[in-house]
Amino acid sequence: MSLETIRVSPGFENYLPQEYYDLVRDSQFTKPRKVSEMGSFKEVIEEHPMCAGCAMTLFIRTMYVALPSVENTVFIGTAGCGRLVLTQGAAPFIYGNYGDTNAVASGLKRGLGIRFQDTPKDVIVAAGDGGLADIGFSMVMHSWFRKEKFTTVMLDNEVYGNTGGQESGMTQKGMVLKMAPNGKKFEKMDMIGLAKTAGVAYIARVVPTNPARVASAIQKAVLIAREIGPTYVQAYTSCNIEYAIPTPKVMDDAREVEKARYGFQEYFTDEAKEYWTRIESEKRQVKGPATEEE
Amino acid sequence: MYLVADVDVDVCSSTNCRLCTQYCPESNTILFDTERKSAYIAVDRCKGCEICVGICDAQAKHHAIKMVWITDLDNPFEIRNHGFKNSIVDLIPKTINGNAAK
Repeated sequence: MSLETIRVSPGFENYLPQEYYDLVRDSQFTKPRKVSEMGSFKEVIEEHPMCAGCAMTLFIRTMYVALPSVENTVFIGTAGCGRLVLTQGAAPFIYGNYGDTNAVASGLKRGLGIRFQDTPKDVIVAAGDGGLADIGFSMVMHSWFRKEKFTTVMLDNEVYGNTGGQESGMTQKGMVLKMAPNGKKFEKMDMIGLAKTAGVAYIARVVPTNPARVASAIQKAVLIAREIGPTYVQAYTSCNIEYAIPTPKVMDDAREVEKARYGFQEYFTDEAKEYWTRIESEKRQVKGPATEEE
Repeated sequence: MYLVADVDVDVCSSTNCRLCTQYCPESNTILFDTERKSAYIAVDRCKGCEICVGICDAQAKHHAIKMVWITDLDNPFEIRNHGFKNSIVDLIPKTINGNAAK
């Protein structure tokens, strides 16, 4: 079914690039993949200009692998580091203006729901801490209060990474940055708390030190957003340029931060919990008969 | 001249950990050879961040990945020339009595 969307038209084989063939032959489009299979199939992300050793790239790579159906997913982003790699994935990407990502996503999700009534279409907003917590803050909060059914993923690098290192609402208090020489004077915004207040159905806080856990959080967020309501994933993706982390130490830094203040958390509303338990039991039932036949 | 990651196939193939393939920030850069049971590197995509070296040394404790000068590599795999491959055994020059076949 999914392969139909990317099949090579007869007669055009000689004019299409190698990457296209690889996607048709052996990729997520042909069958769903697990994180443990990474390296054994063609991934949907191509070459991109993100910095060497960027934890955000690692998170986005894992996120793409975890998507329940990549051919029915639309990404929305905005100015910031994340779009540099999101634009290179073989999933549609819409470049929202700064601040309106969640408003665009609301309209898109409703429109897709009317146009494709039989196929669930997943809409995912993936933007940085500046795009979601500072400039797009009101749109994010309102989309949550309206219970719009899509996923919001914050790539929280705690700084404005590609404009030279200004402080954002998500920067730690007291942090001295290139464009914040006196140190930040205010506390880091509690987006998890705000999401809980707004009644977001599923909330997760992750660090990409454990790819399997990141994948599971993304899967839950996308599937719950299909049926129940808004979901929110906040990922610590350190900026090794602005925070001057040597690239071999990026994972050490992520582990330290995870231990100190960014431990894994997830919250379900009662409705979301019930729905997820049902999905899990259905999965087990699908597996059940196969073992009986053996 | 720049550094890229290089996998020691003998060490890597004796394990089945695949951790480096999951922690590399670049997609399809550390690939897994299903015939040799070893990771291998697409050198044209490797940005030289050394995260895989840290993962292999500290987390997996196999010490199979080293950073080497790109010019020191003999016949490195480039994904832009060959596309995605599950195994690169057919791309390695065949040896006859220890001498590479011309």
